[in-house]
Amino acid sequence: MLDFKGYEWVFWEGAKITLLVGLSAVPVALVLGLLGAWGKLAGNPIARAIAGIYTTIVRGVPELVLILLVYYGVTILLQQLLKLATGGDVTVDIDPFTAGTLTLGVIYGAFTTEVFRGAFLALDRGQTEAARAIGMSRTLAFRRVILPQVWRYALPGLGNVWLVLIKATALMSVVQLPELMRMADVAARAVRMPFTFYFGASIVYLLITIVSLQVLHRAEARANRGIRRA
Amino acid sequence: MDMRRLNNMTKLATVAIATAAIVGLATSASAGDKRHVKIGTEGAYPPFNAIDSNGQLVGFDIDIAKALCDAANFECEFVVQDWDGIIPGLIAKKYDAIVASMSITDQRKEVVDFTEKYYQTPARFVAAKGAGFDISPDGLAGKVVGVQRATTHERFLRAKFPKAEVRTYATQDEANADLVSGRVDLVMADSVALLDGFLKTDPGKDFEFVGPGYNDPKIHGEGTGIAIRKGEDDLRQAFNAAIDKIRADGTYKKINAKYFDFDVYGPTS
Repeated sequence: MLDFKGYEWVFWEGAKITLLVGLSAVPVALVLGLLGAWGKLAGNPIARAIAGIYTTIVRGVPELVLILLVYYGVTILLQQLLKLATGGDVTVDIDPFTAGTLTLGVIYGAFTTEVFRGAFLALDRGQTEAARAIGMSRTLAFRRVILPQVWRYALPGLGNVWLVLIKATALMSVVQLPELMRMADVAARAVRMPFTFYFGASIVYLLITIVSLQVLHRAEARANRGIRRA
Repeated sequence: MDMRRLNNMTKLATVAIATAAIVGLATSASAGDKRHVKIGTEGAYPPFNAIDSNGQLVGFDIDIAKALCDAANFECEFVVQDWDGIIPGLIAKKYDAIVASMSITDQRKEVVDFTEKYYQTPARFVAAKGAGFDISPDGLAGKVVGVQRATTHERFLRAKFPKAEVRTYATQDEANADLVSGRVDLVMADSVALLDGFLKTDPGKDFEFVGPGYNDPKIHGEGTGIAIRKGEDDLRQAFNAAIDKIRADGTYKKINAKYFDFDVYGPTS
């Protein structure tokens, strides 16, 4: 058995923060993804341009750079602007948890956009037309007919985004979030047993992945109910 | 898991999150008589700053920072921050000073100001216990000294002990391993790196420091200081005065003795 020298708690506490940030970022990514996909598929050229710029920039810039830009860059920018406006020295603080969640949400929203775009394209146009033909309003058609089917096509891709996202939380240590990787590092350095603690952390990430896969499998089975497998 | 540990850890997490969180907007003019100062540290560089198994910040840097805050009559609060973001965090005002064993270098001086040094660990020789070398330029003539290559220590050896045979290694651990196997007679490196990375470990149990500590500002640099945002001279002067105060009143000596059996302050300027 591995001896963690009294530092077992780092895995527990680290995993808690990791999961919290990851789970909080998911709704942000989903909403941005739906909006982005709508923008890309909409006839409106402005919406399409905005969505295009968003996914290009975010998917093109490394996550770590974006995190540093949002957490430190935006803070410094706000401070400079307020200094200009008020003349006084002002301290603006973005809480690391909020900054981390938003940044991850914005980054993975771009990947989610592409997942949803693919799912919308996979859906037969006839579905919308049929729903409209029997008198459903646009929102009702979206809610009852489009979304449940898009969801089914999107789920495998979304699961993939989630698995990448949960590992990207390890980058959050640069903004003072004591997530799993950072805590493992702290303990590893304190007792000089890097392999023991990194191995422990990798097992925890693996466990998170295994549980996620189970949940995703069930969600897919549920989304596919009523569909005959070819 | 026992509750005490959980509580301590939760405390640490809250320190990290809440310190940076809550405030929202606050002007730097402080209420009350004590100035509130936030100290950024890494928490992963033992024995200088680390997090113990109860989740508490411990180490030489931490004790020094607390003593300095007392001396300057500051109310201090620690923010734990990963090394990679430690200077950006200072500039973005997540904290007001960095006490994290940061060496004073010219590159860093371009973005932050430093106080005077608060420690400067000397370079030292290590040899087998009782080897009885005469540590002098002539005494080490022909002796084989292992050193990590491209370091200040290699430069120092070649400059001050030209008659010794210098053998260079990619890492200090390799040099130490060759000392154990007898291929080199001595090694030279930073004293704390040798103490914690070698002498206190099992392979190092038959070895000891020999000779004095070496600190040549031209070769070894200026030491370790507290980083402050550029232009905040009030705070920098207050820390400088506090360093002088704890040096004078014996507090520094006490903290030094708690962690090291030699003087870590280095030469007085």
